[in-house]
Amino acid sequence: MANYIPTIGVEVHVELKTKTKIFSNSKNGYGQMANSLTNVVDLGYPGTLPTLNEEVVNLAIRAATILNCKIRHEMFFDRKNYFYPDNPKNYQITQARTPIGYDGYVEIEINGEKKKVEIEEMHIEEDTCKSAHRGTKTFLDFNRAGVPLIEIVTKPCMTSSQEAKAYLEKLKELLFYGDISDCKMEEGSMRADANVSIRKSEKDPFGTKAEIKNIGSISNVGLSIEKEIERQAALYDKGETFQPQTRRFDDKLQDTVLMRVKETGNDYRYFPEPDIPFVIITEEMIEEAKKGIPMLPDERRKIYVEKGVLEINANKLIQNRPLSDFFNTLLNENINFKTASNLLLGDISAYLNKEEKEIGETTLNKERFIELVNLVDSDTLTSKNLKDILTMVMEQEKTIQDIMKDNGIENITDDGEIRKVIQEIIASNPESVEDYKNGHDRAIKFLMGQVMKETKGKANPRLAMELLTEELNN
Amino acid sequence: MEEKLTREEVLHVARLARIQLSEEEIEKYQVELKKLLKDVEKINDVKGYDDDILIACWDGNTELRKDEEGEMLDPKQVVENAPHHAGNYIEVPVVIGESEGA
Repeated sequence: MANYIPTIGVEVHVELKTKTKIFSNSKNGYGQMANSLTNVVDLGYPGTLPTLNEEVVNLAIRAATILNCKIRHEMFFDRKNYFYPDNPKNYQITQARTPIGYDGYVEIEINGEKKKVEIEEMHIEEDTCKSAHRGTKTFLDFNRAGVPLIEIVTKPCMTSSQEAKAYLEKLKELLFYGDISDCKMEEGSMRADANVSIRKSEKDPFGTKAEIKNIGSISNVGLSIEKEIERQAALYDKGETFQPQTRRFDDKLQDTVLMRVKETGNDYRYFPEPDIPFVIITEEMIEEAKKGIPMLPDERRKIYVEKGVLEINANKLIQNRPLSDFFNTLLNENINFKTASNLLLGDISAYLNKEEKEIGETTLNKERFIELVNLVDSDTLTSKNLKDILTMVMEQEKTIQDIMKDNGIENITDDGEIRKVIQEIIASNPESVEDYKNGHDRAIKFLMGQVMKETKGKANPRLAMELLTEELNN
Repeated sequence: MEEKLTREEVLHVARLARIQLSEEEIEKYQVELKKLLKDVEKINDVKGYDDDILIACWDGNTELRKDEEGEMLDPKQVVENAPHHAGNYIEVPVVIGESEGA
């Protein structure tokens, strides 16, 4: 295969997290009984009129801000005309000429190198109804009709599947943390199309484009781009050409398949939607929308690392929004954040996964967690003992120290008592003491083990280690 | 010489309209459609047309709706108005199939 330079652009649709639909006051919901979330507007009945949901505009401004877009101050909607049963009005209300946001970017990082993925525009539109095809019949569920969407279109500025995947991961993280969408690709609340072409050299014009529609996961976006690059390269290598076309990713084949060849440009006869006159976006609306933006992942990452959390753990926390939000409530506390992050990502995550719970559904509130972090940090509660009482920590409301007492987890913090044991151990292990004095580090670990054994694990390890070192150096 | 559209342009329009044309019709429309287009082009003479598109007879701000739920239809009512249904789903014939393959 000859070498080609791929050119990739990505279009993403995300459903907005509003209570009601974009142009009607029926509920915006998922997974409900078919056609139970509709009214005459969603069904496109004659004589009905759309009324624009204020929260849609608010969330779209918020998204535009997060994606570093310029925001249009005066916009309108357009009708995209087409005939298909998923939209009985025979047009979709969208924004063709005045997208709410434009000229933005998302910063991605690949192998330590930063790159800005440029966003051409983002616009507001309505989702269509969901159609399922069986044999010669199509079944329609209008619950999705009129669900608010934003479509985010990048420039053809990416050159590899890794870049496209990194962009989508970042976009998903931003929109999810921005409380704009729940971004569940498996439920269709985030959907991606990829435009792919290849050419020999950057001096050449762009190659013929194939659009891969509605890819169901970020990893499949990567895979379908790679497959498409291979397919196009194989054709060019043979001296063949192909027509601009629409393809889709087939899960079973793990490859893209042709849907239709674009014989002619689409002719949607766009014209301004006369039922929704101009929408003016004021500075106050923009300020209000910006106020609603929660702390975003990049800032969280930066703060966590500054507080001493390992970078890998900072990323893991951010992948789990409830844990990250919980962690954020602790940021002004004076605790060991490394210990806190280890606890949340270790034993506590294991418990939550096993019980299929979120941290908010347990009794582990901020105060009890701080107590736990301090007990673990001071070695008053060892990791083994924590495992024994974890369920109680997560399900009871008692203080952690009371739970420890209930379970006979004592901690000898009496200097004198521990020192006595240490002196006995030192007396009965002269060889190890000699080894230690000769610089063998392992000897102290052995002696420490003996101390813990003698105290049945009840000695406070940190204190015991301090005393042991002191005694050995006497 | 009479101004006319190219044969390809007429066939393109015919394809969009999903109609078949005879040879005589193609020739006829080459002339007629061009005349029609020239008439429509007169709109471009209207001053300021491009700078200030008329969207609606009202050019003020749109009143936005609060994001509050209202009444919805019972699924039974929804399907009653459709010629065919299966359970709660509205049933229609498949309109276009996907053409699969290379």
